[in-house]
Amino acid sequence: MDWGLILDLTLKAFLGLDAVYYIVAALGMNVQFGYAGLLNFGQAAFMAAGAYGLGMAVNYFEYSWWLGLVVGGVYAAVLALIVGVPTLRLRADYLAIVTIAMAEMIRLIVRSVTHKDKFGGTDGLKGFADGFQDLNPFAQGKVYGIGPFQASNTAVTVLLLVIYGLISLGIGYAIARKRKAAKLVPTTLIAGAITYGITLLITSRVKYLGSELWVLIVGWVLVGIFSVFVYMLMRSPWGRVIKGIREDEDAVRSLGKNVFGYKMSALIIGAVLGMFSGVLFALKNSNVQPDNYSRAVTFYIMTALVLGGLATVTGSIVGPMLFWALLAFTDVFLSELSDAQGRVEIFGIELLKDSSARGQFRLGMVGIGLILLMVFRPQGIFGNRKEMALDGR
Amino acid sequence: MDAELSEYARAAKAALSGVSPEPGVSKPDPILMADSVRRRFGGLVAVDVEHVEVQRGSITALIGPNGAGKTTLFNLLTGFDEPDSGTWNFDGQPLDKVVAHKTAKMGMVRTFQLTKSLTKMSVIENMKLGATGQRGERWWNGLLPFTWRSEEKAIEARAEELLGRFKLTHMRDEYAGTLSGGQRKLLEMSRALMTNPKLVMLDEPMAGVNPALKQSLNQHIKGLRDEGMTVLFVEHDMDMVHDISDWVIVMAEGQIIAEGTPDQISSNPAVIDAYLGAHQGKSLMEDL
Amino acid sequence: MTFRIRHLAALVLALIATFGMFLASPASADAPANRAPRAATCDGPGIRAQVNDQANGEKKPIEGVKITVNDASGAEVVTGNTDATGRVLLCVPEKATYTVTLDESTLKDGQALDGEATVTIDGAKFTTNTRTINFFTGAAVRETDGYWTLLVKAIVNGFRLGIVIAICSVGLSLIFGTTGLTNFAHGELVTFGGIVAHLLSVSWGINFILAAVITVFLGGMFGVGLDAGLWSPLRKRGVGLVSQMVVSVGLGIFLINLYLMRFGGSTKRFQAYNQQTAMKWGPIEITARDLTTTIISLAVLIGVALLLQKSRLGKATRAVSDNVDLASSTGIDSAKIIRIVWFLGAALAALGGIVRGLDEGVRADMGGSLLFLMFAGITLGGLGSAYGALVGGFVIGMFVEVSTIGIPWFPDLPFLGWIKNGVPTELKNVPALAALILILMIRPQGILGRKERVG
Repeated sequence: MDWGLILDLTLKAFLGLDAVYYIVAALGMNVQFGYAGLLNFGQAAFMAAGAYGLGMAVNYFEYSWWLGLVVGGVYAAVLALIVGVPTLRLRADYLAIVTIAMAEMIRLIVRSVTHKDKFGGTDGLKGFADGFQDLNPFAQGKVYGIGPFQASNTAVTVLLLVIYGLISLGIGYAIARKRKAAKLVPTTLIAGAITYGITLLITSRVKYLGSELWVLIVGWVLVGIFSVFVYMLMRSPWGRVIKGIREDEDAVRSLGKNVFGYKMSALIIGAVLGMFSGVLFALKNSNVQPDNYSRAVTFYIMTALVLGGLATVTGSIVGPMLFWALLAFTDVFLSELSDAQGRVEIFGIELLKDSSARGQFRLGMVGIGLILLMVFRPQGIFGNRKEMALDGR
Repeated sequence: MDAELSEYARAAKAALSGVSPEPGVSKPDPILMADSVRRRFGGLVAVDVEHVEVQRGSITALIGPNGAGKTTLFNLLTGFDEPDSGTWNFDGQPLDKVVAHKTAKMGMVRTFQLTKSLTKMSVIENMKLGATGQRGERWWNGLLPFTWRSEEKAIEARAEELLGRFKLTHMRDEYAGTLSGGQRKLLEMSRALMTNPKLVMLDEPMAGVNPALKQSLNQHIKGLRDEGMTVLFVEHDMDMVHDISDWVIVMAEGQIIAEGTPDQISSNPAVIDAYLGAHQGKSLMEDL
Repeated sequence: MTFRIRHLAALVLALIATFGMFLASPASADAPANRAPRAATCDGPGIRAQVNDQANGEKKPIEGVKITVNDASGAEVVTGNTDATGRVLLCVPEKATYTVTLDESTLKDGQALDGEATVTIDGAKFTTNTRTINFFTGAAVRETDGYWTLLVKAIVNGFRLGIVIAICSVGLSLIFGTTGLTNFAHGELVTFGGIVAHLLSVSWGINFILAAVITVFLGGMFGVGLDAGLWSPLRKRGVGLVSQMVVSVGLGIFLINLYLMRFGGSTKRFQAYNQQTAMKWGPIEITARDLTTTIISLAVLIGVALLLQKSRLGKATRAVSDNVDLASSTGIDSAKIIRIVWFLGAALAALGGIVRGLDEGVRADMGGSLLFLMFAGITLGGLGSAYGALVGGFVIGMFVEVSTIGIPWFPDLPFLGWIKNGVPTELKNVPALAALILILMIRPQGILGRKERVG
């Protein structure tokens, strides 16, 4: 069994593009579900809005790709309005039902033969990412390590060391704040140094293709921007109202807040984040395929979010990273196991030879994981246990 | 006895002294006025109020047996429920069809029978939520802290002052969910005051509050009147009603059956009748 | 802590017990008898050509027709002649773009090809392992059905779909009414019915009727097991309804992947009931199979409606839906009622799965794709009302099928082409889902629901 390979692929997934687009979508769902208590089961539709907005703008209307972002954003916001207007005055389950139905409706339309000329049917759209890849400073086919000491010249090494250092310092500061450390500066430095070490170890093992790396960098920058965005929002009086609505919307209404309006803006903000996630996903694959936006995607993102912890920004970042790392780990581990042992059977099925059975097994475990998390650790990894304990009124 | 009364209390009692004790009677200076407000649930008439007025600057109690429609009337007046018919106005402005959050902005704030403290938020956050018209409550301003910092400081100062008045300062940073039932009632009342209301509507402020705290709650409610606010409250505790209210309105089976000063009410045969006669199997209505 | 573990154990046991039969037969074990008439298979991808004569209104296979497959560059890859069933299987090295040509000189006299002799297979769409290409000779004697005939057909289909949705939704709505749970895994209970019935009757060879009865019972027990092992402990822990919804999503993910592992991703049919000729009464055409299932389903539906209306159980169920505490205080054992509701709801879902499976074949995601229509149905009928679910589900099913027909004399307005020409079949669920949103805008409590429940 090649533990090095298992580790490498797990770490690659931990930092990889799947995690990145999940994070952006999870941040959106966190605004909706974690903070405002709005159960959006149609995040896939907003992701599709972004992806198809981009693809259609380039392929069908022949605009440039950045205009596609605007198109996708407007489209996602309008969709959110359409589902929000009838449901946000009603109980929580109506929104869930309508969003899941809308996502399905949109998937059916974009994959239909009837509208193949616009959406490309089940094949979807491709070729729209060329404009984006033209800006790629890396050679598309070449493999790059992201560790500072794998870089070909000193300037890059220094740059990477500085960037990772700053990020580590930021994480250290966040940890120190969270722990309410008495001595902020030393705690920050110690936590930052540990993070720095881990970061350097992790990055030294991970390699990406040039085409991937470009999307990855853009993705992580977006994650940074959106994380700050959500963090700022939730610390503001706006966030206070939103959290109040999650607790008891009648109480908030009795204090003179337009609850409907607040819920609508939370829904739209989440939807626009979902749209950016869809764009990243489309750029990652260089194509848009309708069946990538099924309701299962929404559910997996929800799982990743709950894993990290609802109503925390850290949770929506680390949750998806761990989610994908776990998926990658089990996949590689099981297939390595088959090489080592010949066969592994679960429920009478050979998991290892058959990669689709392996996938189904892993996703089945995702389902179990979601149940167990919701029941036994609803606060996830980073949520506040004390806060969650107050739930049973 | 009269010597203990504040200036405001004397004024309220004086204004109401000339009012004849009959259902739907008009008052010299009403802040709230409702006409033919009706609400049915299925076949059941929950509220059927011909006419009612609440005197400005007074403490008015709304009493009645379980299922009389008191809470439903509260819900209707504050926009939390829609009546089948009826009009009402607050401070001269028509209020029918006005949604709940707007009535609160107009200066009519309510509390709930089952306290609605936002359990996973700290006490101070609960309080700050009460302030109306905050600039930082628009999301784009939320992103720009400099637009709301100073406002937030002022709100916090006011919240802390109110917490001090209601003796909750020591719980400032605790989750509201950790408060006792009585403390939650206090929190909800002080949070309501953050909206700077003209009329405070309290739905059973004494329910679940321990006797020791009741006395201070009484004082707080009287204090509201002495700051020029009007108080309308639903209560079952007759001692408290007698103690603090200037005027009492009695409901039974959705209708107003009697009005008067506490003394007049306690000797009113219709009221006694309603309390003794209306206890058969209608306890469900209290929840509606 | 102990009760948690006990319940978890109960859940695991229920799952293992119910899926015990899954263990016995691997996913691909279709009875070989069902494949008998087919020609030998290819190791890799293959192209199957079928040549039939359709001149007299029914298909007759033609033997000895030469079929040639060329690759994208025009080079010949493989060639062969059709057998007695009119079929030939031509193995190809990879899933790529090919042209398939029928050699018209090998047709007998009087047989003229209807359509092109050369068909191109797009490599991008060569997704299944075996691609089937059909050639026909003789002009099709297909009466182009008149509008009314089509309408009647759509109504018959709508009737059948409506009944299936109604049957499946009753449980969803009853469970919502009594426990407040919106169960996003309800579709998987439907799939359970289809898969277990297929397993019992096709793989194990049990008589179909018996298999169906066993399946419905097992479906009900599955529901009871889920309630006892999962939902009831969650309710006791005071887990919020929104969290319970997310748990139901997790359960759905788990079940559908379990089905996929055991049953595979393909559509499987009840072969024995697949080849029936339709009986005709004027414009109404229906096979004996569909007629039987429709009558049985209708009878079950009426039975359920009567049960809920007349029996003590029905009254107790409604009492629990109205107010659990009040019902308990009047001596109703609400836990027992909820168990019965789970049994009834899941058993009905399993029945719906069997009927649907007979109709459209069994797939791992068959229930999941019906879930949307069920939601539309119960929203239309009013969330939590069992009659509402019956009526709403039926109306939605009818609407889905009839919407494909359109109204020819509707004016030709922009954006309203679907009203005039009918909805394309592949999109026929879309208007129903749009209706779901519209209903919530206009009358969120549905047709039979009460306003107080929605806010």
